[in-house]
Amino acid sequence: MERIFDVYLEKLKTRLIKMSSLVEDQVDLAVKSFEEENDEFAKLVLERENKVNKYDRKIGKTCQKIIALNQPVAMDLRLIISALTINTNLERVGDLARNIALRQPKLKPKPFFYENTKIHEMISIAKEMLHNSIDAFNNEDSELAKEVVKKDSELDVLFVENKELLIDFMKSNAEEIEKSVELLEICRHLERLGDQATNIAEDVIFIVDAKLIKHKYQKYIYDDIDNDESDEE
Amino acid sequence: MENDVIINQTDSINKISEDKNRGKTIIDVMNLSAYFGKTKVLKEISLSIPKNKVVAIIGPSGCGKSTFLRSINRMHEVVGGTITGEIFLDGNNIMKFDPVLLRRKVGMVFQKPNPFPTMSIFNNVVAGLRLNGVRNKNKLTEVVEQSLKQVALWDEVKDSLNESGADISGGQQQRLCIARAIAIKPEVILMDEPASALDPISTAKIEELIHYLKEEYTIVIVTHNMQQAARVSDMTAFLYMGELVEFGPTAKIFTNPSVKKTEDYITGRFG
Amino acid sequence: MLNRNNLYFIRRKVTNHIMLSLTFLSVVLTVLPLLLIFYYTVTKGLTSLNLDFFIAMPKPVGEAGGGMANAIVGTLILIGIGGAIGLPVGIMSGTYLAEFGNNKFGNVVRFLADVLSGIPSIVVGVVAYTIVVLPMHHFSAFAGGVSLAILMIPTITRTTEEMIRLVPHSYREAGLALGIPKWKTSLVIILRSAWKGIATGVLLAFARAAGETAPLLFTALGNRFWSTKIFQPIASLTVYIYDYAKSPFTEWNDQAWTASLILIALISLISLLFKFLTRSKY
Repeated sequence: MERIFDVYLEKLKTRLIKMSSLVEDQVDLAVKSFEEENDEFAKLVLERENKVNKYDRKIGKTCQKIIALNQPVAMDLRLIISALTINTNLERVGDLARNIALRQPKLKPKPFFYENTKIHEMISIAKEMLHNSIDAFNNEDSELAKEVVKKDSELDVLFVENKELLIDFMKSNAEEIEKSVELLEICRHLERLGDQATNIAEDVIFIVDAKLIKHKYQKYIYDDIDNDESDEE
Repeated sequence: MENDVIINQTDSINKISEDKNRGKTIIDVMNLSAYFGKTKVLKEISLSIPKNKVVAIIGPSGCGKSTFLRSINRMHEVVGGTITGEIFLDGNNIMKFDPVLLRRKVGMVFQKPNPFPTMSIFNNVVAGLRLNGVRNKNKLTEVVEQSLKQVALWDEVKDSLNESGADISGGQQQRLCIARAIAIKPEVILMDEPASALDPISTAKIEELIHYLKEEYTIVIVTHNMQQAARVSDMTAFLYMGELVEFGPTAKIFTNPSVKKTEDYITGRFG
Repeated sequence: MLNRNNLYFIRRKVTNHIMLSLTFLSVVLTVLPLLLIFYYTVTKGLTSLNLDFFIAMPKPVGEAGGGMANAIVGTLILIGIGGAIGLPVGIMSGTYLAEFGNNKFGNVVRFLADVLSGIPSIVVGVVAYTIVVLPMHHFSAFAGGVSLAILMIPTITRTTEEMIRLVPHSYREAGLALGIPKWKTSLVIILRSAWKGIATGVLLAFARAAGETAPLLFTALGNRFWSTKIFQPIASLTVYIYDYAKSPFTEWNDQAWTASLILIALISLISLLFKFLTRSKY
């Protein structure tokens, strides 16, 4: 049966997708701003942060309204609860983009050892994870979402490696410690970004497969996703 | 303001059904009081019902919801009520109308499906037209098809139009009654708990129907089911002991009502 | 107390049996006259029953054979006239009482209808004689029909009213809410919903009218010849039964029995018809 309610849900989804592409764009720009030492990009990110927050509020209200007026259940309820958390996650990704953009001026010019770090890999993996998680939500693709969850550990490993590299640099280049700390912070942001993407992916799995895979069920799901790679924490 | 944000939200979500009539009111109720004998069942109610919107009237049993609804097409007179105050339909005082003509402009659907049992489905739909003198067979056939399509009943009954209107399921009967009401092309449809005697699937169908009907008609619906009011209406009025406690956009009433009593009622904290 | 030989238990059982027997006796007493009537009319009526009875005219005294074709047709015409007058008046006034009669006037009308239905039929005959026969200067089928109508009207009125009151209020409201004027709602929608019940009352009234003799004596009078003229005296089965039964001729007495048989058959037919019409009610 055709439902008016579906129109509301569709609107909510569209709004979430618009927000996610804006957030993705924010991340792209923020990363580019320090890679290419482009002040304009950083400024733009800071300017658009407001827009992200506005989306966040709007989606929050919409969900509130849909719950109050339509009493969703089952699939519909999962979608709305997930929309709420995805919304929060996207807003935090937006904050991370802003944080990265805020550090851009302090990294000008980039330290000489920049090219030797694994920050490029981190950037590409984090961006890929974000993109895939949003794609997964868009297409209700739980397989893609599971891949994102899997990828997070790779990012974690890279972060640890990068941290060690940067500590080594700091030890030998005392005058570059400030920039090294900034770089380390950016790595941390990227790692957090991966976590947020993972959260989104987990919500997608929740919507599609109705499995709550966070916390309590983590072990079970991780086993489920990856039987042969049980060396994770 | 928080509230403004919510109101804007409602508007944006309801844009699907919006048209050029937005903001125009079709019914204006001023200082309406109603009496049964000496009992005052409605106390100085004033509100305006916008065109092409669904307005829900909620409230506990005996709060005067049905009386309010009935006074809009003067059906309260049938059960022996009297009113004071004014009700305007398109700016005209309804007490100056002939009630028969008024009811052709303001149709009504009742709680229990009440198709005429001795008439066929076809004759039920055109009962209003035929008894008001329309005889043209082609016109009647056209109206039957159109009305039944509007209530999404055509496909279910098109092969049994000559069977009794009482032989179809309760949900179908109620949709037949809605078809019967819209066959005379009213401006407003009053619904008195139209789904309370129906199963959940039939209820959902009626609710969907209401969403589509508001493109052409203004609908005032009385319901004791608050969730239903939330689902189908654009505006909600909360009546309590014959008084209008709160009237506003449904989204606001159900997320952030201004009056404590409303909040207590819709959250089930009453009494 | 639980002992089955307990005196209390025995007394209760005996009382129970006595009461049951009494009710059964009452049933027998009710059915017995009916059976007797059937027995006599059938055994005695069958002796003269033949095709001639339906198609031939009465023969003069002393001649054997003959029939009552004129009386059978006459009875049908009389109840036809009675129905033609009594039906619309009864149904309309019943509708009025149900829809608009919740006031003093309605109560008065209702009371009068009840009184009218209790008035002996011979009195009705006298009245019809006074208001129809005297001004017209002769007996007529029409006058007979009027007297039968007067007998039918209270039954039809009260049944119609009761049946209309049984129609759920929601149909009335549905009609009014469609902008159908009140009188049209009552006449077309409500009456149509109640017609099965009303038909019962109407047919009972017909059956009663068909069996009336007294009012016809003063009005339709009777006619030994073939007549279907409304303003002429007309024959009827009941009057023939009355005349023939009290006559000293055996053939006539026998024919009276046959006429009774036909009359009972006619009334049974009407009863069956109403059973047939109301069969799908539940």
